Amino acid sequence: MKTANKTVTATRLVKDALEKAKHFEDYNIFTFINEEGALKKAAEIDAKIARGEKVGRLAGVPYALKDNFLSPEGETTASAHILEGFTSPVTATAVEKLEAEGAIMIGRTNMDAFAHGSSTESSYFGPTLNAYDKERVAGGSSGGSAVAVALDIVEFATGTDTGGSIRQPASFNGVYGLKPTYGCVSRYGVVAMASSTDCIGFFTKTPDDMSLLMSVASGQDPKDLTTLPDYYNDSEIKKAKKIGIIKDFYLKDSEIQKCLEHKCEELEKKGYEIVELEMPALKYALAAYYIIVPAEIASNLSRYDGVRYGFRSEKSDNLDDLYKNTRSEGFMPENKRRIMIGNFVLSSGFYDAYFLKAAKARTLIVKEYEEAFKKCDFILTPVAPNPAFKLGEKVNDPVSMYLEDVMSVPLNLAGVPGLAIPAGETSNGLPIGLQLVGPRRSDKSLIEFSKELM
Amino acid sequence: MEIKREDILHLSDLSDFSLSEEEIEKLGGDLEGIIKYISQLDELNTDNAEPTYQVFEMENVWREDEILPQDATREQLLALTKEEKDNQIKVPKVL
Amino acid sequence: MKYIPTIGIECHVQLRTKTKLFSEVDNDARGKEPNSCVSPVDYALPGMLPRLNGEAIRLAILAGRAMNCEINASSRFDRKHYFYPDSPKGYQITQFYHPIIGEGWVELPSGERVRIEHAHLEGDAGKLTHFDSYSLVDLNRVDTPLIEIVSMPDMHSAKDAHDYCKALWRLMCFAGVTYGDLYNGNMRFDVNVSIAPEGSKELGKRAEVKNLNSFRSVERAVEYEIKRQSKLLDAGEKVIQETRGWNDATGETTGQRSKEEAKDYRYMPEPDLPPINLSQEFIDAESAKLPMMPSNYRKKFAGIIADDTLEVLLDYPSLMSKLGEIDAKYAKNISNLFASVLLAEEKSAEYLNDLPTAAELSELAEMNDKKELSSTATKEVFLRLFDPQMKGRGVKNIAKELGLVQENDLGALEAIVDTVLAKPETKKAQDDFRAGEEKVIGFLVGQVMKESHGKANPSAVQEILRKKLK
Repeated sequence: MKTANKTVTATRLVKDALEKAKHFEDYNIFTFINEEGALKKAAEIDAKIARGEKVGRLAGVPYALKDNFLSPEGETTASAHILEGFTSPVTATAVEKLEAEGAIMIGRTNMDAFAHGSSTESSYFGPTLNAYDKERVAGGSSGGSAVAVALDIVEFATGTDTGGSIRQPASFNGVYGLKPTYGCVSRYGVVAMASSTDCIGFFTKTPDDMSLLMSVASGQDPKDLTTLPDYYNDSEIKKAKKIGIIKDFYLKDSEIQKCLEHKCEELEKKGYEIVELEMPALKYALAAYYIIVPAEIASNLSRYDGVRYGFRSEKSDNLDDLYKNTRSEGFMPENKRRIMIGNFVLSSGFYDAYFLKAAKARTLIVKEYEEAFKKCDFILTPVAPNPAFKLGEKVNDPVSMYLEDVMSVPLNLAGVPGLAIPAGETSNGLPIGLQLVGPRRSDKSLIEFSKELM
Repeated sequence: MEIKREDILHLSDLSDFSLSEEEIEKLGGDLEGIIKYISQLDELNTDNAEPTYQVFEMENVWREDEILPQDATREQLLALTKEEKDNQIKVPKVL
Repeated sequence: MKYIPTIGIECHVQLRTKTKLFSEVDNDARGKEPNSCVSPVDYALPGMLPRLNGEAIRLAILAGRAMNCEINASSRFDRKHYFYPDSPKGYQITQFYHPIIGEGWVELPSGERVRIEHAHLEGDAGKLTHFDSYSLVDLNRVDTPLIEIVSMPDMHSAKDAHDYCKALWRLMCFAGVTYGDLYNGNMRFDVNVSIAPEGSKELGKRAEVKNLNSFRSVERAVEYEIKRQSKLLDAGEKVIQETRGWNDATGETTGQRSKEEAKDYRYMPEPDLPPINLSQEFIDAESAKLPMMPSNYRKKFAGIIADDTLEVLLDYPSLMSKLGEIDAKYAKNISNLFASVLLAEEKSAEYLNDLPTAAELSELAEMNDKKELSSTATKEVFLRLFDPQMKGRGVKNIAKELGLVQENDLGALEAIVDTVLAKPETKKAQDDFRAGEEKVIGFLVGQVMKESHGKANPSAVQEILRKKLK
């Protein structure tokens, strides 16, 4: 990616990005444009360069921040009404690390409220439009971030991936999107969706950019006890020989399936061995996911009550009304569905049949991946069963929307990394994305290997 | 599994929502569909599986007992609430 | 009808860690402004994650060992959900279902044992103050580390309940896991009381009296509940299972509107905290740090310190610990000074935190033993050891400066006695004594004491007088 230097200044880079953001305003990508803050930071970096001081690895690189990352620049709302007016005094660890290397946030990006969704239609600020077809969805939940990179407004954007929220919009907009190994990047200061599957990752235009960002962002954080000691920067790149494909994910009469098969042929020509895998428990991953994740959502979203920050309902004459009305007015319908499903699977009488059962299914899914990676180095699958769909097509049918995640959620349940790569186009010109899946801690090798599929 | 109106009201209560009639109607159908979908997990035999709640290898992660400066001050935190009085958060009366 | 009461007690103990259970802010909010000990984690901003305090784990192990409990190598935190402003996250993080402290027992002074079911680590809640039209929320207490100790229903009288709470308080204070400041709520008791007709195999329905913070109120609340429930049963009515509040002024418990029957807390494993799997080496090493407990001191000082003195001193871990350092031959003397002099002082609470060294106290006791200090002088020097101006000067120096060292040199004493006997005003007394009037010896001793400016050892003086007046 282009960093600032004496001839191409940070101010120039930032101004370009701001202009492009303005130009593509109708895509509804940003919930906040950080014009003043970004230009101020650019000037500081330019001054440093002029003085001949050392600048960071991302000096002057404009980027877009998904609206669920806490930082004092602009309101952090997770595109939810209930966080309206919330300007965070705290900065997310990931943001601190990026900015310490000189990256400059030019805007916050639209998302499904609280990252609940696969189309960015469930945002309090309305949907973001697809970079290739304005009639279609951006994917989600990190739709704004994907489109910001796809339209070349910024060099990179941050995202969060709880069940495909980076990979699916990346595939819908033809960019790279990485969901790292669980625990690789600190979750501190990122609005929690489901703590046991939430991962922080990025959208980029190239694998090398992705690797650079991971090198900056990964590592143990004393503020997030679920982070792993930095392995990313220390890990050797492992050469792959065998690539697995999952029989159970076969898509009949699909251009995506054809694209996958075509890529496999190319790999074989390059001397790689293609291994067919049977992973029968994966079929149940989506059901397990839509038990475990709503349970954690119901729990994590208990703190939004209008008492301490954000939106508070006008109708709050007594405490009970304050809670009930704030939560009823402040959440989107999809937030409510997930909270109620979460409370259902955790409630007495249903816990064992749903939550505990799903936690056991999760064990089988983890094991299936472990077995699979004994037979191959990486797995190649579609990201989603279809390319970008029409706005409004699925938004009123929650189950059909959930089925978007069928190929992405198993990775989150297992905590393994997945990289969405642009792999082709459909006959009507929509991007097709495939995902490369690796064992835990294989992120770096996975990114490197993706170059074979360019 | 049939989701009755009283089930929706119970879940609404656990979630601390006050739902409109329209929402109760719509959510009833939605939730029934979702629960039907997730119930297919019944087909999977999990008899010999221990539950997994977290997917990473670490345990016994804790910190030392030392007071450290925090990422926000009391003033910054209390500034976020709608109503403050005497350095406390003001909420309407409990019924 | 005669009823047998059955009592089980849950006790919340605030741990004396420097920082809170999940953030690095000051855990001691006593006397501090509202919300001054609150981190963004405690305030439950979005995206905040708990940062477990290892000291709480260590103190929990000590607390467990103090109660003869098993320590569970594996324990886990769950989230317990409820909506109320005292719970900013909307859930409490608790080890209720997978506690670090397993079964054990606490011994009462009667020798009976109350079994401990388990004890678990969890975070405390914030505080609401209610006014007419609004309430104010102070989050200082949010996630102060607590252990909740759950007893088995092994108690059958108000006295048992009182004794158990007091025994527990002593154990926690001696183990050094809490400040044990009951007035500030460092230990709070929830008491479950039921009664059943004598001979009945089944327990009655129980009432839970919540949030008691003194042994006396525990005792009174149990007494009240036994009376209340007996009256109900005698009248053919039923006791309902409910939570009741205690009014210390009226000495009554009152039913609290129980919207809470069958509250569904939707427990869920806490995904933000890694599991705890302690090695046996770790548990053993931490357990070994348990200081002497009251039962150890009872054994050590049996036959040395009077039982009633010991019972008084067992309320003060710092005093017992000091006595433990002192040579057994001086322990009785020093224990008396502690019980009758130190604890009678107005400033005793202050003094307890800053005791003289064991060497100083031993030296003091030795001087008293050797009669270099009278018992009155010993008390005086003892108190001076707490005087900031006298500190560190040495016992002998202080005693000398105050002119309190007794003259024990027989030669010197004899000379003083001779001087006194030579005085005409003592002549009559000498004659009277020789004539058999015993009590005038007191007058003569007094004269010698006066002559010696109080430094003579009175018993030595008496001996010399008796010899000389034969």
